[in-house]
Amino acid sequence: MALRDLVMGGSGCAVPGNDGSSSSNPLGGFADSILGSASKTQERLREMPGLTGSRQQNGPQFGPTGPLTSLPGSELDSGQGSQAQVPPEFLGRFQDGDAREFVDAWNQALDRQLPPPQLPGLPRHNEVALFREFESIYGQEPGTSNVPPVFDAPPQHVLSGFLRSFVDSSRTNAPFPAVRLPELGLSHADKSRIRDRSSIMGRHIFADRGDAFADSQVNALLQSLDIEGNLRTQGPLAGQLSEFEQLWKEGYAQSTPVQQRQIGHQPLVSLPDQWANDFQSQYGPQPAPSWVDEFHNQQDGDQWAQQFQQQQGQIAARARFSHGGMGNLNAMEPTHALVQTLSQNQDPKFQNSKFLQFVSKMSRGELIVDDNQVKPGAANQLSNSWADEFQQQHTALPETWAAEFTAGEHMHRGDTWAEDFGRTRHEAVSTSDDWVDEFSKLGVRDWADEFGDQVAKGAFGDESNSSWLESYDKFVEEQVKGEQRVPQSSRFVYQFADQNPYVGHPNPLKEGQDLFRRGLLSEAVLALEAEVLKNPDNSEGWRLLGITHAENDDDRQAIASMVKARDADPSNLEVLLALGVSHTNELEQQEALRYLRGWLQHHPKYGMLVPHDVVDRLNHAEVANLFNEAAQMAPEDGDVHTVLGVLYNLSRDYDKAIASFQTALQLKPRDYSLWNKLGATQANSARSADAIYAYQEALDLKPNYVRAWSNMGIGYANQGQYEESIRYYVRALAMNPKADNAWQYLRISLSCASRPDLLDACERRDLEALQKEYPL
Amino acid sequence: MPMFKTAFNGYAVKFSPFLESRLAVATSQNFGIIGSGRQYVLDLTPNGFVPVCSFDTPDGLYDCTWSEENENILVSASGDGSVKLWDLAAPPMANPVSNRQEHSHEVASVDWNMVRKDSFLSSSWDDTIRLWTVDSPQSLRAFVEHSYCVYKAVWNPRHADIFASASGDCTVRIWDVRQPHSTYQIPGHEMEILSCDWNKYNEFMLVSGSVDKSIKLWDVRNPRQELTRLLGHTYAVRQVKFSPHQESLLMSCSYDMTVCLWDYRAPEDALLARLAHHTEFAVGIDMSTLVEGLLASTAWDETVFVWQQGMDPRAA
Repeated sequence: MALRDLVMGGSGCAVPGNDGSSSSNPLGGFADSILGSASKTQERLREMPGLTGSRQQNGPQFGPTGPLTSLPGSELDSGQGSQAQVPPEFLGRFQDGDAREFVDAWNQALDRQLPPPQLPGLPRHNEVALFREFESIYGQEPGTSNVPPVFDAPPQHVLSGFLRSFVDSSRTNAPFPAVRLPELGLSHADKSRIRDRSSIMGRHIFADRGDAFADSQVNALLQSLDIEGNLRTQGPLAGQLSEFEQLWKEGYAQSTPVQQRQIGHQPLVSLPDQWANDFQSQYGPQPAPSWVDEFHNQQDGDQWAQQFQQQQGQIAARARFSHGGMGNLNAMEPTHALVQTLSQNQDPKFQNSKFLQFVSKMSRGELIVDDNQVKPGAANQLSNSWADEFQQQHTALPETWAAEFTAGEHMHRGDTWAEDFGRTRHEAVSTSDDWVDEFSKLGVRDWADEFGDQVAKGAFGDESNSSWLESYDKFVEEQVKGEQRVPQSSRFVYQFADQNPYVGHPNPLKEGQDLFRRGLLSEAVLALEAEVLKNPDNSEGWRLLGITHAENDDDRQAIASMVKARDADPSNLEVLLALGVSHTNELEQQEALRYLRGWLQHHPKYGMLVPHDVVDRLNHAEVANLFNEAAQMAPEDGDVHTVLGVLYNLSRDYDKAIASFQTALQLKPRDYSLWNKLGATQANSARSADAIYAYQEALDLKPNYVRAWSNMGIGYANQGQYEESIRYYVRALAMNPKADNAWQYLRISLSCASRPDLLDACERRDLEALQKEYPL
Repeated sequence: MPMFKTAFNGYAVKFSPFLESRLAVATSQNFGIIGSGRQYVLDLTPNGFVPVCSFDTPDGLYDCTWSEENENILVSASGDGSVKLWDLAAPPMANPVSNRQEHSHEVASVDWNMVRKDSFLSSSWDDTIRLWTVDSPQSLRAFVEHSYCVYKAVWNPRHADIFASASGDCTVRIWDVRQPHSTYQIPGHEMEILSCDWNKYNEFMLVSGSVDKSIKLWDVRNPRQELTRLLGHTYAVRQVKFSPHQESLLMSCSYDMTVCLWDYRAPEDALLARLAHHTEFAVGIDMSTLVEGLLASTAWDETVFVWQQGMDPRAA
């Protein structure tokens, strides 16, 4: 994790507005949503029924020669008014007295066929419509509450989803629980939809498979939807394949140590170039049989089921807990069987069917990710990559596919698995959420992001209670201090990208790792996002995501990722260090000290240095002493010197900080992030010329290090070389246009360089214009 | 004849009752399982299809129907349970001119009343059918009797108040909108019934298509025994449609990816033609009322074909 150059300390240019004006401000975002929706409400007025204007103005003057519509013998041929009084002879004998209301309604409707009076100007009608709209939004009138606002122009899709889930949640007894949207929201509906539709459609195709099969499908459908059932249901198929069960257990035993090692034995590495190796050794080529890989694949399926369960919301989850789990398992049966049925068809057309491929993917639980892809375009890419992957597997390794299928089927029958699942569910039920965190989610405008957060929620696990308390305490504390700030961990909510081509990728973690190594940071972010969507509990995935964001100069996202990583694995040293650095960058001493002390505490070597008592307020000097002790214990440990450097930055003891970093660099001369830290510290201590040298070292080691590019800009700005600084900012932004801080610094430099003419381009984030003016 | 490539999977195609060259095509992303929808309006020109406009929807679209009283009005059936009215003459931001959210599950079909031209029906996976008029924001009534998805509801072409519905509960029901209950129940097939249509020349004749792969013709007054049975599809029959021009001509499409033409009175073999121009499930068909023999089909392979009967759809 790199150290943010603290511009406020070293430069004459103040940072205007700090961070309150940024569009990623949660409250600001929420306000935007509200305002946005308000203006849409205006537009909605025109969608209200009764708009006969256009029809009457534009309707064609078609006469009696209309096609088919005036078949001879039609009852209405004689014209309007007299019809429908007398029932047609056809079926007439069924008429009885009770039916009057239907007849009346029908006839009334017919009366309305007469053109309504067209008032010029603003018709009263609109006021009525407005009122109805109001009522339908606020649900005061039950009759209209089931007309949710729907915005159908493509840009409104996201908002539409958001509002619709809002309306849904208000109907399901929660009192304006915007914070609960993630639990009751649309993604759940979408999940249901997927299952519902695939089951129903599957039934049409499976006709040949017999009653029992159809029943098991309908059973799955009914269980997942809580539809009142009138079709026989059948329990899950019992484990028939005991030999497979044994295999499966072995497979589990083989594959879990990989994860256990990660948690139990922490390698003493904190450096990005080493984590890559670390990963290589863990996830690199493994001589495992292919069905072990399959196990990994199947884990996605588990994830899917689990996520689905979590999103049911607590009420539903509890009610269904006893059998909900098995219902889930069942729900995947139809798609499995569908694949089998279709794949048995010899017709080459069927073998080439994209639908088959789609369903194949779905049956392996990879559809989950589609859930946040209601936006057009993204899912298209998705289905392509699915298709590709399937094609690959299907054509290259038919046996593997078969094996995979068997393994998959077995997964749903294995009792062990079910137990396992049950246990996970127990934990998941207790997802009592950090309400502060939830609140800040209001700012997340994209419900897809919401989904991401939900998924990530899984990471809270057992910790949720304590973290809630912790957050609450901090919140109260800050309120008392009169600061309008929520705790660090909840100020940053992770924002997922709208469209992610890596969703559905078989191994996004590896892909992300590769991309990171190749310096394609923005791409790496996407791949790693796909990874954490898939495996929200993967601390490593979150950590890499955090590192990538940090190097891509996006502190906000970096911290959000690291917080998730910490939640998934509270003792991960790299994560603790990274969070310590981030909070140092944000000048939040207490948070930073807490994390840095935590680093020491969880360190297998230095853990005993840290007293086990709980400390309310951490004292900088005490923590620094602890680290100095550690440094004496192991003078060759670059990490300790690195943390010391960070600590001295916190106390603005820049000379000591520089010395610490230089020591660390002697031990790890190729650590580019250390060079960057050194540079940032030098810049802060008014040694910007030295800083430029350090940054250059970092960039030589890692040319796509966005953060170093923008820090370079800061270094030049500190020396008054604004023109030069602009070039570096622009270069950094060209690599990552989402680096908000860099945009802010750029604006400052543009003002200082007397280029107000380019401020507009900066506001518009028009990189092209800026690059033209300031090429590097 | 021309072929049009849609962005999403085709679900329904309908000829305009006013303009012989105009079609509406309802499409869904990801086979209608998840994702958004798009309603196309296409014009057939000597140079092929030209999109007139398209409307995007948050959920997939499963069916559409043209207004019988206004050439610019079109209704779409959406997976989110809504029924959407579009006005081609209105500016894009004004569309849909009406959005009616009453069904609690996917809307599977919509059909405009050819006699009482301000009304239309929607049938849904929520097991109900709803009756709507253009001017009333709420449905006039719901028909609640089916015990499973209602895949199709279609007006009798001569009687303003009579319609038929095909359901996954294996029945076809005949309704008079002025009556509280259905008039006839036809336990037509052993398996789900996905589609039905009225003969345009015989007000009592109905055709049904089922998951059991068969197509059956019925005299609605005799629900116990079908008039005849048409066999030939190898998977579930998705849509069936009577010709507006020839009493005994039928069109069908199926999950076997083919489109078939039938003459139920043909002495030897009722199957006139089997067309294999689609590469995924064929789910939407229509026959032009304005141009005799002009046929259209769409499928999950993201294509729309229009061709003249007797020609090969792929022969450009």
